[in-house]
Amino acid sequence: MASDSPPANTNDGPSSPGENASSPIGNTYSSPSSLRSRRRARSSTPSQFATPPPPSRLGVPNSTPPTSRPSAARSNRPATPSHTDEPPPSSDDGGEDGADDATPTFVWGTNISVQDVKSAIEMFVKHFREAKESSDDLFREGKYMASIRKVIEIEGEWIDVDAYDVFDYDPDLYNKMVRYPLEVLAIFDIVLMDIVSSIDRLFEKHVQVRIFNLRSSTSMRNLNPSDIEKMISLKGMIIRSSSIIPEIREAVFRCLVCGYFSDPIIVDRGKISEPPTCLKQECLAKNSMTLVHNRCRFADKQIVRLQETPDEIPEGGTPHTVSLLLHDKLVDNGKPGDRIEVTGIYRAMTVRVGPAHRTVKSVFKTYIDCLHIKKASKTRMAAEDPMDVDNSLRRVDEDVELDEEKLKKFEELSKQPDIYEKLARSLAPNIWELDDVKKGLLCQLFGGNALNLASGANFRGDINILLVGDPGTSKSQLLQYIHKLSPRGIYTSGRGSSAVGLTAYVAKDPETGETVLESGALVLSDRGICCIDEFDKMSDSARSMLHEVMEQQTVSIAKAGIIASLNARTSVLACANPSGSRYNPRLSVIENIHLPPTLLSRFDLIYLILDKPDEQTDRRLAKHIVALHFENAESAQEEALDITTLTSYVSYARKNIHPKLSDEAAEELTRGYVELRKAGKFAGSSKKVITATPRQIESLIRLSEALARMRFSEWVEKHDVEEAFRLLRVAMQQSATDHATGTIDMDLINTGVSASERMRRDILVSSIRDITLEKMQIGGSAMRLSELLEELKKHGGNINTEIHLHDVRKAVGTLASEGFLVTEGDRIKRI
Amino acid sequence: MGGPAYDCLTNPLGAVRFSFGNALSSGYDPASSHGKDWGVVDLFRHYFSDESAISQVPILDSSSIKWVQPNTLVRFRGMIQDMLGNEFYAGAYKDGSTWRTNKYSDVSQFPDGPSSETQVWERRLLYCVPVPGRNQWTECSSIELKNRFLDLTGQNREKRARVDEEMTDSMDSNTLEAGLNGSPFKKMKAGEGTSSASESQVPRTDNAPQSSALPPATSTDSLPCLVKIYDSPESDLKLNDVVEFLGVLTFDPNTMMDMDSPGDNTDDFSEAESVQRPSGKVPRLHCLIHRKLETQHFLHGSSLSTELKSPQMFKEIRESLMKHLTGLLGNDHIAAELLLLHLLSKVHGRVDNVAVGKLSLNLTHLNKESMSIFGTQLRDALKSLLPFTQSIPLTIEYLNTASLGPKKDYGTNRLVPGVLQIADGTHLILDETELQPGTLNSVGVENANLLKNLLECQKVEYDFQYYKMEMATDAQMLIFSEGKSNIMPADMVLPFQPSQVNPLQVIAPETAQAWRCYLATCKSLSHSIGQELQQVLENDLVAARQTDRSLGSQDLSRLLTMARMMSVSYGETTLSLEHWQMVLELERLRKERLK
Repeated sequence: MASDSPPANTNDGPSSPGENASSPIGNTYSSPSSLRSRRRARSSTPSQFATPPPPSRLGVPNSTPPTSRPSAARSNRPATPSHTDEPPPSSDDGGEDGADDATPTFVWGTNISVQDVKSAIEMFVKHFREAKESSDDLFREGKYMASIRKVIEIEGEWIDVDAYDVFDYDPDLYNKMVRYPLEVLAIFDIVLMDIVSSIDRLFEKHVQVRIFNLRSSTSMRNLNPSDIEKMISLKGMIIRSSSIIPEIREAVFRCLVCGYFSDPIIVDRGKISEPPTCLKQECLAKNSMTLVHNRCRFADKQIVRLQETPDEIPEGGTPHTVSLLLHDKLVDNGKPGDRIEVTGIYRAMTVRVGPAHRTVKSVFKTYIDCLHIKKASKTRMAAEDPMDVDNSLRRVDEDVELDEEKLKKFEELSKQPDIYEKLARSLAPNIWELDDVKKGLLCQLFGGNALNLASGANFRGDINILLVGDPGTSKSQLLQYIHKLSPRGIYTSGRGSSAVGLTAYVAKDPETGETVLESGALVLSDRGICCIDEFDKMSDSARSMLHEVMEQQTVSIAKAGIIASLNARTSVLACANPSGSRYNPRLSVIENIHLPPTLLSRFDLIYLILDKPDEQTDRRLAKHIVALHFENAESAQEEALDITTLTSYVSYARKNIHPKLSDEAAEELTRGYVELRKAGKFAGSSKKVITATPRQIESLIRLSEALARMRFSEWVEKHDVEEAFRLLRVAMQQSATDHATGTIDMDLINTGVSASERMRRDILVSSIRDITLEKMQIGGSAMRLSELLEELKKHGGNINTEIHLHDVRKAVGTLASEGFLVTEGDRIKRI
Repeated sequence: MGGPAYDCLTNPLGAVRFSFGNALSSGYDPASSHGKDWGVVDLFRHYFSDESAISQVPILDSSSIKWVQPNTLVRFRGMIQDMLGNEFYAGAYKDGSTWRTNKYSDVSQFPDGPSSETQVWERRLLYCVPVPGRNQWTECSSIELKNRFLDLTGQNREKRARVDEEMTDSMDSNTLEAGLNGSPFKKMKAGEGTSSASESQVPRTDNAPQSSALPPATSTDSLPCLVKIYDSPESDLKLNDVVEFLGVLTFDPNTMMDMDSPGDNTDDFSEAESVQRPSGKVPRLHCLIHRKLETQHFLHGSSLSTELKSPQMFKEIRESLMKHLTGLLGNDHIAAELLLLHLLSKVHGRVDNVAVGKLSLNLTHLNKESMSIFGTQLRDALKSLLPFTQSIPLTIEYLNTASLGPKKDYGTNRLVPGVLQIADGTHLILDETELQPGTLNSVGVENANLLKNLLECQKVEYDFQYYKMEMATDAQMLIFSEGKSNIMPADMVLPFQPSQVNPLQVIAPETAQAWRCYLATCKSLSHSIGQELQQVLENDLVAARQTDRSLGSQDLSRLLTMARMMSVSYGETTLSLEHWQMVLELERLRKERLK
């Protein structure tokens, strides 16, 4: 009868079959362990037993009855013992009203005394002070008294309690709370209500306690029957959340005959019993009561499915899921895709075979009754902005996740003398050789310190790296690897990227018609690494967008009524193929890469990954591959750190270590820089070769800071600077070597033409001029270019290198522009 | 061991109860055991310690489901397609003063309501399907078993009924009768679209979305099975493992009721329930013991594997198989050699993204006409040689529409299988000859990427909507194409040069059996290399690289894989110089053809 009655139907409304919807307990007797733990105290408050969530936990026994609710609860109470499987009610009522009774009441099946717990909680709430509060404000209120006052002021409905605080104050209470959460939390609520009403007698709302930040958190996979009815905390990702279900709490009925309104009837175990007859003495019409929807009280309920995060899934497994039951304020606290940490009570309930059957299946449904939800940040490595949290009282730093043990391990690691080498080895261990490139990439991962001067000048801390190399030298693999490892890494391919796709674009919102800004890859990888593959195949307009990003670290947009500057504090890791697909050592880097010099100079390190025929390397490669096939493949890399350790090591260092230059290091830096600049001016060189620019010194600082970070050192030491110089030199030797002279030549990168190349051209031009002056008359017969070349070769004298026809053609072009001669196809004529 | 008190084969639950009673009397305490095994596993393991005892147990498939009885012992051979998480059940309860157990059964035996003490235990749910692409010859015929079994159950019916009465109070005799007639299964099968004429008469009862959750890829007569695992560490069974489960078959008498209840696709706990619901239509197996299956297990005449000891044997079978393959490939000897090596490949190690041991083959210079001759012949031949084969036509239309990668459907909370959710060791034929110019849509691009990733890294990305997860997959991939396939860059590319078309040979079943056995045995051989030869290899590789700079590490790696396969194909476990030189020669010939 009851289940057919209007209330049940209302409940089902948007949702579902039978009693599932009305309450998870609808077809439940009770979870099995609550059989064991059925309490003599408090337990018989019907709502408390029937609906697990906090709101109904409230017994509200001693508080001033603000609404008709407590009285309703009371009036309902006599009905309860009549229920079949209720324990003998003998001491029930005693426990009920008698929290102050002399006879101790115990939580059923345990030796936990209700009074003890109650007083322990009272002590905790009234007297807990955070350790850092100094002793002189001893007379100030405790942390939680203050928050109670605050709650009263803002008319809030709950108080967040940090489980760490409980543990600090009273470990015993903490243990009881975790083991018997239903009972202890009910008592906690009562204590809170007592305190609240003692402060403000007129305060009407029920204040509940929300526990969070348990000392230990379980993984979804390890939940087992022994966790049932315990307080647990676990992390996961929301994959589905139901619409909000209005759950009826109090029902009001009206007699169709006489119009009499009944008192609100409280839900009992997910059921509302419709009065069979009109309650008015004069009427007493049978089956006349009907539910009045708009006078009933409903509460929000939502069911959310939580799934394991990918990192918790063992190899060859699929993710586990668990249902969460959210109530009231917790509803809609997360949306699908959010990673959250949940504190709640793990519950199991029996399932009825069918709605009309009393028999139950032997299988239980499990779910978690949520007490508290904390959103975790979505990034893989720590994002630096403070977490946008819930209402927790204490900001929970992310490095709490790094337990002490791990920290200690990191400290130990960082103390190792070969940590630098070790980290480099651990980076992409399956990629052979390329040690210096890996070291450079490591520096990029750790990054330098960004500086914001008061004057408004910014110095970026991010290191940009360009890899140029022959096909098949595992550049892309390196990129993929870094992308996997880095915080907020974005991986794009130059071929498929447009300027707006990389930076930001303005779009019209289809619904509102407003213009909105959509972030592109670079903005999305703010504080991360943006990996751009096939950099050379990128369109010029897209590449030009990178100028601003790579030095100013912002993206400015001015279009369609939006003028904005977005942060894009990202390191760029790009890789490119040489223009002729294979590196041509006869051409300069610029000619090989085909990138504008302006962009090129913004890369701190440019590595040329060339496939040089070298027997030693080949032999090592062969050895490596043979070992891969015939020995235990894993043994080769036992020394390396695994990728998860590496990631957390990097993120920890990035977050917590901010090295400064020591005096010694600064001195070394200056000395080295001066030397580097001097290096170009070797004896008697009239050609001005610039070997280093101020950009390089900035790069050097960043590199040495990154190197110090790897050691968890707060100071940049001299050897860091030395290593930074070495890295730069290694990179430059490959990329900025003038193949004609063998010296380091930054002009090569900055202007695309090396100083010696320029000189060679000048010589060529002047000798052509000489030859033409010598051999040709003004307006005379024309001369073939090939003949000219022959002449030049004969002439030989001041040109020591080989001359090609295209060189000649270029030189002739220069002369033609001077108006010295004219070209007619393959011939030249002097004017 | 089959004492008079119970019969492991026909009354396994009786055996379970009996041993539970025994365990109780020897001090087993259900209250603190968390449902740990009390000796049942050992009991059954002992009973089924040899192959002949196991073969007495009927295999559950679409034909045997009609006559196999519930609550008896059956075997199910399949691939773990999805893991449905853990399930809590009332494992033990107190009936008066004695403990009873519900382990290995579905139905609640709560007397009435939870007035007695109960213990909650947990078990794992695995959703298993027949291995995708399983070939005919791997199936056991259960005909003789069937006859015997029907006799047996006929006799035992009286007794069984009595036993059942005690344990299945809630199961009314109607459903029991229905169960014996197999109708619940019929219904279930109908729900899956079985094409058998008599059964398709049964109206489809599933309007619920779970029909979409059922594997579309598996063939029509596939029979999924929900396996409940007890007492087994999680790491034991992995997704896509091919396993034989031996356990108690049950079905849910309340299936009909569940299905009749209207509109149950809601946001409430129905999701949790959807994990349960399909099981009403799928037989369930309470697993007692399980073992992973190798190809050898599918070979019925296991006698052969013992004979394959001597190198001479290997050589002979290799020769005959080579002859067969050469014939199939129109006397192209090199192609046949490479094909054999390809068939023996398997991933035997992974270092980051490199799968060591894979050896995919791309036969080029094939067009539609020659495909219809050689391609079909080859396909059929491989079907009769390998346990699991599949072929994928690489057409624009297929790529644009097929769902290759498995995907999680959060609506039903199921992993929707894709074509590429395959068991390790599956052979894939990719036919690119039918590819026409056209446009790939996003699905097509995704699918092409999946295939390429599988080819290069032997990994398939499973789409979990909020993130993707890469699953290691070991598939042998054979590609037919006109030119060198750019979509599918295989390890070995060989222009196919048949000289004649040979008539189809008829192969004696024994020969086929021998070849299967040969392939399976060779594949499972371990392999190593001597110190001196290692040096030789290194020198050769260096020399090769010095002469040809275009050789990358992948090419060198491939040479070593080929060497391993070559050596293994002669049944040897250490590489010899001879085989290495054979590989180099083969490679030289291959290179020559490429020019």
